[in-house]
Amino acid sequence: MIVAEQKPLAEIMELLGDARKVLVVGCGTCVTVCFAGGEKEVGILASALRMMSKLEGHPMEVDEATVQRQCEWEYIDPLEERLGEYDVVLSLACGIGVQAMNERFPDTLTLPGLNTTFLGLPEEQGVWEERCQACGDCILGLTAGICPIARCSKQLLNGPCGGSQNGVCEVDPDIPCAWQLIWERAVKLGRVDQLLEIQPPKDWSKSRDGGPRKIVREDLRLVEAE
Amino acid sequence: MNDAHFEPKILAFCCRHCAYAAADLAGGMRIQYPPNVRIVEVPCSGRVEVTEILHAFERGVDGVMVAG
Repeated sequence: MIVAEQKPLAEIMELLGDARKVLVVGCGTCVTVCFAGGEKEVGILASALRMMSKLEGHPMEVDEATVQRQCEWEYIDPLEERLGEYDVVLSLACGIGVQAMNERFPDTLTLPGLNTTFLGLPEEQGVWEERCQACGDCILGLTAGICPIARCSKQLLNGPCGGSQNGVCEVDPDIPCAWQLIWERAVKLGRVDQLLEIQPPKDWSKSRDGGPRKIVREDLRLVEAE
Repeated sequence: MNDAHFEPKILAFCCRHCAYAAADLAGGMRIQYPPNVRIVEVPCSGRVEVTEILHAFERGVDGVMVAG
């Protein structure tokens, strides 16, 4: 899932500036399950904004809405008829949702209430960890199912490096050495031979180095009748 | 109302099965509690969400008690 966290309230207030009527829009998908921008968080933030603006002497009218997925037109289109009455929209979705709102509704400014942080999973209740960098050329099949691009601080393809000490990374003792994990798992699975092959430099053109990416599936496109 | 006589408005969310029943019993025994405490009966104190507590503050209460 996409993992995000809410911006500090003071930063959100600054972003909202002198807006007097605000719609806070949450998203019912990734940011709901990481407790950053779902219906509940929308309610809490809207309440906090109302109270803070009142304390500052400029009461703000703050309404709430949460859509199932803020990154798809079908789900955000029903918001259109409400948007005219608001000075700004504050989105509690990831950066994709914020941009979807701005693209779909060009006359209304949608501001971000979250910092989109990474693609990851909940390691335990309340703890999320990064697992994927969407590099566009998955190598999990070569690395015992553990990603060195997302989980090795140096993104090494032929690790570990000399900074791996007792199974942890020199960057931070809270970071397990991805290559230690890869090696241990490969030993367990009897696939060490695979790791002894030297991997050539990664083709980063399939990642962000090739510019913004796009996938076109002609088999799925709807072709309008001539 | 000046500060010397400030009496906070308290909203109490009380569980039907214990705290609310206790308040009910107190009433039955003619034991008084201050009128600035307003009780809301909830089916379980676990039902009380953060948003309800915040809404109470927004509407002007000075304190919220969750009893269960």
